[in-house]
Amino acid sequence: MLVELEGVYYRYPDSSDWVLKNINFKAGEGEFILILGPSGCGKSTLARVLNGLIPNFYGGLLDGKINIVGNDPRKVPTYEMSRHVGFVFQNPENQLFFTNVEREVAFGLENLGYPPDEIRRRVLKVLEEYDLMELREKSPFELSGGQQQKVALASVMALEPRVLILDEPTANLDPLSALKVLGLVKKKTLESKLATLVIEHRLEIVLPFAERVVVMAEGEIVYDGDPLGALERYGYLTGKPFIIRLIERLEKEGIQLKAKSLSPEDVAASLLDILERGVTRVGGN
Amino acid sequence: MEALKAFKFTRKNSVVDKLDPRTRFFVTLLLAALSLLTLEVKRQLLLLVLVFIISIIAKRFSLLIKGLKGVVPIAVLIFLLNWITELSQGFATPLAMTLRFLVLTSSFSLFFLTTPPDDLALALEQMHVPRDYSLLVTMSFRFVPTLAQDVQLVLDALRSRGLEVEKGKLRDRVKNYVYLMVPLVVFEVRRSLMIAEALEARGFGARVKPSRMVTLKFAKRDAIALALILGFTAIFLSMK
Amino acid sequence: MSEVIRVEDLYFEYTEGVQVLKGINLSIRAGEFIAIMGENGAGKTTLIKHFNGVLKPIRGRVLLKGKDTRHLSVAEASKIVGLVFQNPDHQLFNETVYDEVAFALRNFGYPEDIIERRVEWALKLMELYKYKDRSPYTLSVGERKRLAIAAVLAYDPEVLVLDEPTAGQDYVQKEKISETLNLLRTLGKTIVIVTHDVEFVVEHVNRIVLMSSGRIIASGPPLELFRNPALLREARLLPPQAVRFSRFLTSRGVPIKDCFNIDACVQELLGGLRGGS
Repeated sequence: MLVELEGVYYRYPDSSDWVLKNINFKAGEGEFILILGPSGCGKSTLARVLNGLIPNFYGGLLDGKINIVGNDPRKVPTYEMSRHVGFVFQNPENQLFFTNVEREVAFGLENLGYPPDEIRRRVLKVLEEYDLMELREKSPFELSGGQQQKVALASVMALEPRVLILDEPTANLDPLSALKVLGLVKKKTLESKLATLVIEHRLEIVLPFAERVVVMAEGEIVYDGDPLGALERYGYLTGKPFIIRLIERLEKEGIQLKAKSLSPEDVAASLLDILERGVTRVGGN
Repeated sequence: MEALKAFKFTRKNSVVDKLDPRTRFFVTLLLAALSLLTLEVKRQLLLLVLVFIISIIAKRFSLLIKGLKGVVPIAVLIFLLNWITELSQGFATPLAMTLRFLVLTSSFSLFFLTTPPDDLALALEQMHVPRDYSLLVTMSFRFVPTLAQDVQLVLDALRSRGLEVEKGKLRDRVKNYVYLMVPLVVFEVRRSLMIAEALEARGFGARVKPSRMVTLKFAKRDAIALALILGFTAIFLSMK
Repeated sequence: MSEVIRVEDLYFEYTEGVQVLKGINLSIRAGEFIAIMGENGAGKTTLIKHFNGVLKPIRGRVLLKGKDTRHLSVAEASKIVGLVFQNPDHQLFNETVYDEVAFALRNFGYPEDIIERRVEWALKLMELYKYKDRSPYTLSVGERKRLAIAAVLAYDPEVLVLDEPTAGQDYVQKEKISETLNLLRTLGKTIVIVTHDVEFVVEHVNRIVLMSSGRIIASGPPLELFRNPALLREARLLPPQAVRFSRFLTSRGVPIKDCFNIDACVQELLGGLRGGS
């Protein structure tokens, strides 16, 4: 387990309302977890507990058992947490500080005082892995939104964290770029055995990548499990994409799909498979 | 606005670009010093010509001239003010003052045209300026254009609501700037909070001495450039 | 239906030599609901800024109900076309919600009694009347978005143009915006939105205008455009899920037109296949 939260409560300083209530949450290697919930439900707050911004940057009262890659953010400063937990924010503009991609990627390692040789090695490795070699001298103004988020991701991954958090990473991107970025995150999650948490609203784009969905409402986790179950129960909070409504409708006809993922293509393939094998029971359940 | 372009780095491949940024910095300061130490027209002209020659070698001549065009109004103002206050003295001194202004502007312009912000930061750090200050420099370069975009956004929104910030009596224009400032300040304060979060999440503020992947090293060409400029200085100062 | 916005051979550049709009021709009729879509940098926001005169063409012209925007002030153009920018925080200038909505009207020189009526109307329509004496910054994100719309509605333009109204919004907020736009349509407004949200568009919009690299590459009803994958790829869009689903089935020999009506679609699939195999 890379992340273990037990009975966690949090409230901001000078506030008497708990923003996180009785959070019990575990995350392990290779998991791509989607966190859903309406604005204000606490998902961004939870994300910031995981990388130490809460309580170090925001203060307030954080209660409960917390273990994040062996660290407790109440005992460890944010810069120390950044070695273990990478955080990609929503707006690329506010997390790219330099006019040079290579410097951006090296920045985290420089801050933590790594020896120059080690920095050079890791920067080169990350630039290649994320296909950024040709862009290494560009400034963010010369990059598209998708490329900017890739740079942000690479800069964070250069620190080789075990846990990766993305807070609405595709909000400013066009759908195709969004798909690319999330696809890259999924690939890296599996390759590097990360625990990845993604906060996203654009269900149509992100659902196919998530094998686990956590739904939050009013500071609590109300669902933690398979994506289909999450949306069937909490669709009224999160929205129900077409494909989910279709699956529900087919279930009414007695058809249980076993799709590889919640993309329209995989769902269609699964449906075809079932129908061609004649497994339908006429007349529903 | 156009004049600001004269201080913006663009990537080019020339011998001047390959110099250590500290060399360029030194040359710039030296030329500025020489300009401030002397006042004859022919000396200022010589310095200006030198800057132009270096800019041609650096393939930035046209950019430099475009930038200088933007400051012509100020140059004319300097000429007139100096001329009017000492009418009996003739044209020589005002002309020299104007040329001096042009030398200073163009030598610093050339420095910024040929030096990426990160190189400047690197140079400062190796001159033992603390990391936090050099970061201030780089981040300013990084975020000024972004801020300029935000200003334009707010101006467009204001115009769409019927308020032309740049028109009307002076008193109204001052009032209008308040309307510009309110959302802008709120927005930029929020932005700086988000930047602060992102900085912390990238290990900033660690209680260790920050390292640097790249270090500047002087090369032969720097020695040659320094020799040339010092030679020039000697000739310059011994001129009658 | 009469034409409310006409764009003729519009060219625009911010800096010399870099054309952001290259020969745009567009006609928008009263009562239409149009979506302008395309990759970031295609010129969508630049185009809509011509609709209320914030930008004027370098070449070509933009006509609002027959009047050339080059001969109109932004105040005059805004009476026909109201522009709501993407980020409400760029558009909140006043101390109270009431003043915010009255702002444009005061700048346009309306008398105070008319202003009062209009502001009340706009605030009640956007369900913000109870906040009228509060500071705009105390409102939630969704409420600030509605406030920006109210501030533009107050001067009752015929056309409302909204830049990315659903970007970054959660499901509940998006539903609210949907409702609001439908409401505006019942009031007879012409609506133009710039968006990436294909699912939203399929549900609401008469016509899509697809842009890429400063040009309009296609214009037509959503279903027509969404069935053309090459076109969508050029505009960096994904087809709606219903289209992707039916396209997959069709490519595997199960011809199905599209699946927007789930009930009908399921009947067709199950009926056809059960009967066939």
